[in-house]
This record gives sequence, structure tokens and C-alpha cells, in this order.
Amino acid sequence: MAELILLWLKCIILYNAVDAVFEDQVGKFDWRQQYVGKVRFSHFDTHVQSSKKVIVATENNVFAALNTRTGELFWRHVDKSGPEGNIDALLHHGQDAILVVGNGRLLRSWDVNVGGLNWEIVLDSGSFQKACLVGQQGTVKHVAVLKKNIISLHYLSNGHQKWIENLPDSETVDYQTVYSGGNGEVYALGIVPHSHIVIIAYSTDDGEIIKQISVEAPWLSNIVASCAVIGQGVLICVDSATPSLYMYNLNPNMDDLQMTQIPLQSLGLEVAPDFQPVLVSHQPNSAHQPLSEFFLQLGPDNFLLLQFNNGQIVTLRDFKPALLVSFATTGEKTIAAVMSPKNKTACSINLFSAETGRRLLDTTLIFVMDPNGGKPEKIYIQPFLKKDDSVGYRAMVQTEDHTLTFIQQPGRVMWIREEALSDVVTMEMVDLPLTGTQAELEGEFGKKADGLMSMVFKRLSSQLILLQAWISHLWKLFYDARKPRSQVKNEVTIENLSRDEFNLQKMMVMVTASGKLFGIDSKTGSILWRHYLNDVPSNAAFKLMVQRTTAHFPHPPQCTLLIKDKDTGLTTLHVFNPIFGKKSHVTPPALPQPILQSLLLPLMDQDYAKVLLLVDDQYKVSAFPSTKNVLQQLQEMASSIFFYLVDSSQGRLSGYRLRTDLSTEQIWEVVIPMEIQRIVSVKGKRPNEHVHSQGRVMGDRSVLYKYLNPNLLAVVTESTDTHQERSFVGIILIDGVTGRIIHEAVQRKARGPVHIVHSENWVVYEYWSTKSRRNEFSVIELYEGMELYNSTVFSSLDRPHAPQVLQQSYIFPSAISTMEATLTEKGITSRHLLIGLPSGGILSLPKMFLDPRRPEIVSEQSREENLIPYAPELMIRTEWFINYNQSISRVRGIHTSPSGLESTCLVVAYGLDIYQTRVYPSKQFDVLKDDYDYMLISSVLLALFFATMISKRLAEVKLLNRAWR
Amino acid sequence: ISTSPFGRFQVILLLLAFVQSVLVVGWCFTEMEAGPGAAMSTQTNGDRFKIEGRAIVPGVKTQDWVSTARVLVDGEEHVGFLRTDGSFAVNDVPSGSYVVEVVTPTYRFEAVRVDITSKGKMRYARLVNYIKTSEVIRQPYPLQIRSSGPHSYFMKRETWGWTDFLMNPMVMMMVLPLLIIVLLPKVVNTNDPEMRKEMEQSMNMLNPNPELPDVSELMTKLFSGSKGSSKAGSSSKGTRPAAKRR
Repeated sequence: MAELILLWLKCIILYNAVDAVFEDQVGKFDWRQQYVGKVRFSHFDTHVQSSKKVIVATENNVFAALNTRTGELFWRHVDKSGPEGNIDALLHHGQDAILVVGNGRLLRSWDVNVGGLNWEIVLDSGSFQKACLVGQQGTVKHVAVLKKNIISLHYLSNGHQKWIENLPDSETVDYQTVYSGGNGEVYALGIVPHSHIVIIAYSTDDGEIIKQISVEAPWLSNIVASCAVIGQGVLICVDSATPSLYMYNLNPNMDDLQMTQIPLQSLGLEVAPDFQPVLVSHQPNSAHQPLSEFFLQLGPDNFLLLQFNNGQIVTLRDFKPALLVSFATTGEKTIAAVMSPKNKTACSINLFSAETGRRLLDTTLIFVMDPNGGKPEKIYIQPFLKKDDSVGYRAMVQTEDHTLTFIQQPGRVMWIREEALSDVVTMEMVDLPLTGTQAELEGEFGKKADGLMSMVFKRLSSQLILLQAWISHLWKLFYDARKPRSQVKNEVTIENLSRDEFNLQKMMVMVTASGKLFGIDSKTGSILWRHYLNDVPSNAAFKLMVQRTTAHFPHPPQCTLLIKDKDTGLTTLHVFNPIFGKKSHVTPPALPQPILQSLLLPLMDQDYAKVLLLVDDQYKVSAFPSTKNVLQQLQEMASSIFFYLVDSSQGRLSGYRLRTDLSTEQIWEVVIPMEIQRIVSVKGKRPNEHVHSQGRVMGDRSVLYKYLNPNLLAVVTESTDTHQERSFVGIILIDGVTGRIIHEAVQRKARGPVHIVHSENWVVYEYWSTKSRRNEFSVIELYEGMELYNSTVFSSLDRPHAPQVLQQSYIFPSAISTMEATLTEKGITSRHLLIGLPSGGILSLPKMFLDPRRPEIVSEQSREENLIPYAPELMIRTEWFINYNQSISRVRGIHTSPSGLESTCLVVAYGLDIYQTRVYPSKQFDVLKDDYDYMLISSVLLALFFATMISKRLAEVKLLNRAWR
Repeated sequence: ISTSPFGRFQVILLLLAFVQSVLVVGWCFTEMEAGPGAAMSTQTNGDRFKIEGRAIVPGVKTQDWVSTARVLVDGEEHVGFLRTDGSFAVNDVPSGSYVVEVVTPTYRFEAVRVDITSKGKMRYARLVNYIKTSEVIRQPYPLQIRSSGPHSYFMKRETWGWTDFLMNPMVMMMVLPLLIIVLLPKVVNTNDPEMRKEMEQSMNMLNPNPELPDVSELMTKLFSGSKGSSKAGSSSKGTRPAAKRR
């Protein structure tokens, strides 16, 4: 019992030693930005006039409601990623939103106001085609779902199935769409390509087939792409070959076997060459028929507003040039919005009456295109009736770079959402440049001494500059203090960016999957620059490297982004300035061959840019920059430049050495048998990592030296056999220079996904134990032993002794999404592991808990070393969450970066959201804490001072009295 | 002077208080939160199943928290959402053993393990125990997941106040005996024989059995006895001078 109490006490002490967030620090050093992803469907909430919601369903399987005034989220629901959470359709009726999810697997109804689920039902299997709301006698009560072989009708109120019918001949007929005009029938439209259309009318009440008919259409291949339903149930299709429009009247007693053909020439219209015309129709209310008016797109920038009237088609208006069109309805009025290019940098949106095609007065809205953004892709119009019954509107424009811009008349941008940031792939944190004064001061120390007097003058002048800066700072403080607080703005712009005292503010350069690059201020989270690369392939892999930091003043900092097409392996380089986002005038080399590997060498050219080596599939090496100076340096250094290649498809790891003529030779190869296991990931150490202490002091005052091999690679393998009894996870530690296998560990009855962190002399990895059905952590630490072989320099080629390997495993009570270790300037501060959890928390777990030397039995020595007794289960304490209640959905990566303060590590977690904060793994030992009690210390000092004064006086009096006695 | 018995008594009391506080801490740690599990219903759908239940936050309207809540099955393997009344259903789950958690940024819910057998439709819920994985503590059926309160994310700031300083056991241990030593001889006239008698009586009351010898005295005797009449060992250093003085 006594031992237990001791243990508890110890635990309490240890837990208290761990840093956590204080409540008053909320939002002080951290910020979060929430995103939804690229919008696929969007509807304005119109059932209440004053509603401020726009509901969006996105390609990231997110369903959310945005505030139209601010662009912030009302609520957001993040479903499973991948095809199982894919949102196939969004229907909106009143305050209900109906979603079809996972290729027609689930049907969900959400309450738009609360953001809660009304109901969810599982649909019968089958590939989803189309869903529509079904109205009857003016009210919408049902939703129809069409699948490859079945059609079903569900109640809107509870999701229960009203009826389900098999579609006839579903093997030959491709049913593609479903339509209801509110007359008590549901039409399923199918096609046998280049033959005929199948139209089936079902009764809404019981699912009985009212009529089934085949209509000849040998020219048609896809209904969805080239047909639409307009007016009183007229199916209208467009054929680009003839070119003409075809019409067919959908009604319960249809008996025509032919579609009516109207050649476009008879309307005086012409289709642009090689263009598939598109029809756009609009059904304002599902309980009523669609409009008789529709758009016909005849060319990339040519739209026509047509009207169907008594079997005739009338052209209401020709829009050329026009980029995008959209219908919108408010009350009884339906309007057509058309976006047309104005000049190179702006577009204008105008409203037209849908019935007449007349332009509505005072409805022009200017949309200024960002020169660093993409082209507009979609517009969503939110119209509203003004007091004088005229139509006003706001517009949401979606551009190619996934940006949503919400604009109000006459062109005021209300908010911008950069949804590309929901898919950050990689990032770097770059130091901000010094200001002119700071650079001047730094210059004093950088230059060579030139005489005593000039040095003195330089020193004096720099002190003067400092004094001047201080006075101006004071003056600014005084000036600002007089102004009301609301007017004082400390907005960060590119112009006033400068490094702060402790280098805590940095530029976050973020690369997103869409190919848009962002520069974000780490202190406030405001986007300082953006740059859209419009020629990025959709399956690109990115690697971001900082070639030149801001430390080399006259030369601008330089980042290089390597963009590799995963299929072809062809690579392009984008070189830019990370502070301003501008493309550099340095021309990157053209790379005609696929690139296998890239290395950033510590070598620098005469302009202080680090050398980037690119290895192509012929094992030829090219350097960037490739000046004479660089090539000469490379020739000198060639014998000590090694690199490795991983071919996971063949299970081969190979090491190469650079020759002086920039060709390569293979020096080792490790083949991992593909039949048994495959390589999942290869992880080296971070190049900017510092290790402060070379060893650990043991309880008996001896030193256990760490095995600090900078060339060590941790290779993770998983078994190809996924049976839970035979599956395993393997870790191989290989020296990247010699190919020597340092250690091999196998975790039996385990499977991935494996998350791994490799740093200093340890490797921590996490896997799923299939036997015990739990997540487990394992830690491997490598030690040289009690003596260091060569303490001055580490060479992979000269290490005769194999390191001692210690390993220990623990149970972790949650799955994890990602893992990273904290990083500080000099590596003195103790390390924490930052673990992203699926619940959205980021746990800061002290590395102390993952220490293979944790003893099972406590001894005097282990207590002296501060080792925690071994306990199988690691704990998750919410006090260790660095992001408190600011949960981050789908954390994909955590980036850690050292700051100028040794105690402080900057952390950015990205996934669907972005979160930035600072962590202090060993508390803030190098600065006064922000809650430092100045009052207390000064009052105690004063009190002591007065107490001494008084007691001195008293003592004098006493002495005097004694002398008199 | 007879201050020493009072001083010793004080120290013993303080010690007792300290032991008690340690016990309280220990008790806090042993108290395991007994969380109820999820209610199950059996509904097959091919070879896919459904996990159903209900989450409750006592005293909070469901509208206020359901929009931020999710049901996670084995991490993010399967995801379910909460209905506006707090109930949930995770559809499309193949047979197996799963850990079901209700996740919200504000409220804490216990995780529950749910087993779905491959052939039979029998499934049951139990508390999650990662160490003894085979141990089954069945959850009553049907049941609901009840929140055990809001998450505590923040550390309390160490605020400084006079009361904290004074109530510190170390300070009390220092200050109170000091006060007694300094003040008692002044307040109580020890030369008064009546007072002395009264004090002796009160001492007897503290010591319920007068036959039982005082522990410290016993110890002193024991140690001094074993070492003869030589100087006392280091262990009895504390009590010896007091005994001598008396």
C-alpha cells in the first residue's frame, strides 16, 4: 500500500510537471481555421427570408452550413473520408437537407437549423444514379432514389420506404435519371446508347407502372449530359452531330415513338466546332413543373436563353461572351444570372428576367479576379426581394483554385474562403526577414574589423539607431494610447513584416493539393500571399525545400517546390520567394527525364543557395543551381555524397555514391522479399535537428552514450498476408551510407497503418495489434554503450561496434491519425510527441513515458534517473491536449519548427483545419512566464526593505537603551 | 516548563492530517468512473450490421451539442452522427469487435466495446479494458452512454493569496508551535498549582488508558535500555531532550 501511495504521489508530481494550457491563454498564441473543402453542391437556405445560411456539400465528404454574412461555419459534419463517405447528391427542402452518401448506400436527412440528424436509413445495394424530390398537390413529401436496377420512394418525414420497384430490363437499359413534375407520377429515364430511350412512369402512391415506352434515339449516348426536362414535362435533348434539338412530351398516356426534331439552323443558331452543347434547366419548386425557359450552351463562351412555348422554341436572348450562367428564384420571381468577362482582371454579373430575357436594372455586380487565383467555375446566386419589389442579390463565386468568394452589390467582397487550404500537402516555416535597422546591427558583427576608430563609430551609430527606434516606438505607443482602442489596428501586411525578438513569428508556406501556394503569418493566421499554379497535374506529389533562408540579406530567400506527376514521374520545379510569394527570376532547369530522388545538400553556391541534387531514372545527377562554383565544389565533395533509392514496388532499397563526373555507382542493395512483406515507409531524421547531450547519466553516475547516426533510416514493412494470426509489422534500421542493417524488429500479430517518428537515437512507432485488438506504441532506443568510439565525428564507414538496442511497448487507448516530435533550437528542451487523434485533439505526450529504460521494479538508481516505473497503458489526459476544445478534423500532418527561444516549439497541425500554437515541453524556463507576478515580487521586496529599515532602527534604539542602563 | 507534551501532540495531529490527505488522494485515483454502455439492437443487412445507442448529457439540451458530436467506431473506421434527440446508429458495420466512442469537444463520454458475432446476431456491449482484453463487464441491456461531465482542458493558475500561504502545512507546522512556545508561558501561569492540576487532567483525558505507557517514553526507555546508560542513538534524538527536560 505504501508503495502504491508513493507511486501515486510520484505520478501526481510528474503529471503536474507536464505543461498544459491555462484558461486565460485561450487564443493568445494559437489560432484555428476551419475549412470544408471544394464545394460540390451548394444551396442557399431560403425557407426563412432572413436566413443567413448557405449549405454546402463538398468533395472532402463534409456537409456544412456557412454564415453568408461572415463566411464562418454554423456547423459542420465530417464523414468518413474515401468513397464510403462520398456525398452523391444534396436535395434541399424547407429546413431539411437530404443527402445520398457512399454511392447510394445511405440516405440521410439533416435539420439545417440545428445541424442535427433527422434520420438515416440504409438503401439497398446498387450503384446510385440520381435522386429527386417528389411533390404532389403542391407539397413535397417524398424523395425518389434511382439506382442501377431499382427505384425507391421514401417519406421525407422519417425516411421510411414507401415502395421499391425493380427496373425492367436493367441489364440492357442504363437508367440514368429520375424526374417528377408534381403530378403524381415519377418518371425513370433510361437509355440503350445509340438506340433508344426507355421512359417508365410510376405512380407515386403505390409504385405501379402507369406507362412504359421506348422512344427511338439512335444519336443519343448519355441522357444526363445532353438532356433536360422543361416546362410541362418536356424532355429536351441536344445533338451536336446534326445539330438539332429533340423534344418529347412526358405524360401518363404518351404514345409517340419518335422525338420531335428541331434543327438548330431553323432557330438561326450555330454550335461551336468540337463542342458538346449543354442544356441548363431550372425547377424552382419540386412540387411544380420546371420553367419553360432554359439555357443552351453552344460554345465555351456562348449561352442562349431559350423559351419553349406551345411546341415552339423562341430565343429570348443571346449571351456572348458569357462564362457562367445560373438560375435563381425568390418568391414568385425567377431570374437568370450571367457572368461575362469585363476585362482581363474583372468579370461582371448581370441579372435577367427569366420569363422575358430583359435585363434587370441596377443589378450589375463586379467580380474582381485575383491575378494569383483561378478562373471562375461556378456561381451561386442568392436573390432577395427588396422593399420596392425589385430583385437584389448576392453571389457566391467558386473558382478553379477552390476559393469561394461572396460578393454583394456593387462588388463589395463580403468574405473569401480559401478552401484549397483544406488539403494542405506539405509546408515549411520560414524566418521573417530582418528590418533595415536590424540588418544594420547584424552587419556590424558580420563584417571584418577595419580599424579601431571606425569600429567605435560604427558601434556608436548603431546605438544611435537603436535609441531612435526606441523613441519612435515610445512615441507610437503614446500616440496610439490617445486613440480609441477600436481604431488602433495592428494589421500585418507584407510591407511591415519583420522578425520579432524571439523569432516566434514566422511565415508558413503551405502547399495544397490543388496547386495553390499560400503564405500565412504564423502569429495571426492571415493569408499574406497566394499563388495558384494552374498547370499542376491532379495526382501530383510535392516536395518543398528552402534553398536560401532570409539570413543572407541582399539575396532574397528562395524556396523550391518540386512537383512530380505520380504516373509519369516527370517533374517540374517552381522557384519562388517564400516571403512575398513571387516567382523567382532564377530559371529552374528543364527536366526531361523522370526524377527518382532529390537531395538538398548543405553545400552552398556563391549566392548562399543550397545545392539541390536531382537523380533521374538513368541514375544521372543534375544540380540546381549548376554554376561553375557549385560543380567544382561537388567534384571535391563527391566521394562523401551518398544517397539511397527506394523501389517499394519491387521491395528494393539501394544505396549510391556520387562520382566526380556526376554519374553514380551503386554500392549496396537490400531486397525485401515482396511475397512476404512490402515497404510501407522509409523515414530518416530531420536534417535541422540538434541533439544537445551525447549521453544519459545513469543512476551510478556513469554515462550511457547515445548512438547518434545521422544516416540512419527506419524502414517500415507490413506483411502481405493480412490474416490476423499471421500478419506482422517489421522495422528495419539501415545505415543509409553503408547499407548495414543495424537492427531489425518484428511485431507479430500486428498490422498497419504504422505511424513512425525517428529522431535522435530513438524510433517510436504505433501499430494495431490484431491479437489484443488495441493500438500499441513501441519505442526503440540505440546506445553506443558506456564508451564512445569516436567522440569527435561520426562516420558510418568507421563504426566497428553494433549499438545496444533497447525496446519497450505500451498500450495506447486510441487510434491515432498522425504523429510528430517537438523540435527546438538547440535540443536542450525535453522532447514531446505530438499525436493527432481521430477525435480532433492533439495530445502532447512526454517522450519520458516512451522510454525503454522504464523499470518494472523501482530501484534506487532508477529513481535517481527519474525513470517512471513501467506501466503497460499510456494515458490520454485532456489536459495534455495542446488545442483544448479547438478540435481539428482529419489531422493529416503536424509540422514542428524551432523558434528563437530554446523552450518554445512552434506547431502547425493541418488536415481539414489548420491550427497553429506554441508548445513548451519543459515549461518556459528561459523567459518569465506570462503570469509572472510582478506585484508580489515588488511588494515582497519593498516589505523586506522597510522591515530591515525598521528593525535597524529598533535595534539602534535597543542598543542605546542598553548602553544607558 | 511543560510545553513539550502540547508541542508533540500538535505534531502528531499534523501528521495524522497529512496521512489523511494522502489517503484522500489515493482514493481519488482508485475511484474508477463506472460508465454505462451503448444500447444495441439487432438488425441485419446482408453481412453488414448496425450499432445503435443513445448519448445523453445530463442537464443540457441536445440541440446545443449534437451538431458538434460524432460517433467514432475504431478510430475513424466507421462514423455515425447523432440525431436531434441524441440517439445514434452506425450503419454498415461488418462483424467484429469494435470500440465505440461518442466524441464532442465539450463533453466526455466513456468508450464502449461492442462485439458483433459473424453468424449469430448476438452482440453485446462491455467496458473497454485494453489490458485484460478478454475480461467482460457486461453493460446492462438496453443502456445509454451518459456523459461524465465536461472535458477539463485547462490547468489552474497558481494564484497567490494570504490564505494559501497561511494554510500551507509547512507554514502551519512552523508557525503554530512557535506561537505556542512564545505565547503559552505568558498566557498560562504555570506556577499556579491549580492550573497545573487542570492541565494534568486534560492530559489524562487525551490518554484514555493511564496504564498504557506513553509511546515516546517507551521508545526512549527501550533505546536507552539497549544501549545501557550511554548516550542515546540517533533515532531517539528528537524525543530524548524532551523527556529529559521533564
